[in-house]
Amino acid sequence: MNHYETLFVVKATLTDEERNSHIAKIKDIVEKNGGEIVATDEMGIRKLAYSVEKQTRGYYVVIYFKGQGELVGELERNIKFNEQIIKFLTLKYSNKKELAHFEKLVSNLTSTVAPTPAPVEKSEEVTASVEA
Amino acid sequence: MAEKRKFKKRYCKYCEAKIDHIDYKDVGLLKMSLSERFKIMPRRLTGNCKKHQDLVTIAIKRARQTALIPYIIDRKNVVENPFDILR
Repeated sequence: MNHYETLFVVKATLTDEERNSHIAKIKDIVEKNGGEIVATDEMGIRKLAYSVEKQTRGYYVVIYFKGQGELVGELERNIKFNEQIIKFLTLKYSNKKELAHFEKLVSNLTSTVAPTPAPVEKSEEVTASVEA
Repeated sequence: MAEKRKFKKRYCKYCEAKIDHIDYKDVGLLKMSLSERFKIMPRRLTGNCKKHQDLVTIAIKRARQTALIPYIIDRKNVVENPFDILR
């Protein structure tokens, strides 16, 4: 299993429902091809640094997932077909340093989604160090 | 007489902040190595170490591909505050 990260930009002119359906489709493709989505980061609507397909704004989404190499080809093929997605970039996290960074990014994201478990662990560590 | 140094004594900002991986989505980090026209600044001006310069160039090129930062700012499409884009 390899670790991947895909960023894609959906047109900002779509309604929320349409946009969500497009994002759900992409996630579906990952899961159907034996991938496992670890975390998603929706950066929201941002100004594009330069116009792309006559768009000046875009909705940025990043998905972090694990899966086999063939999955990426299939995913990118589907993204290319989708005309509502104007930009995409897939990265592979391979060596140790990169993997550590991947885990860090994912843990940052998951801790913001579910804030309750993370602080408890931290407070325990702090108390332990104080006792020691 | 020795030539006067045009810039302050340089040090690697990334080493100082102890960053071991530069993420292309973190535009604030890339900003340190960009000129005001969004060119990649050379190592001799920024003082970055070789390791971090290599990381940052790759990250900047990725950020350009995903339209997070512009390739270039020129007179054709004038932006009022170029660094506003980064916020």
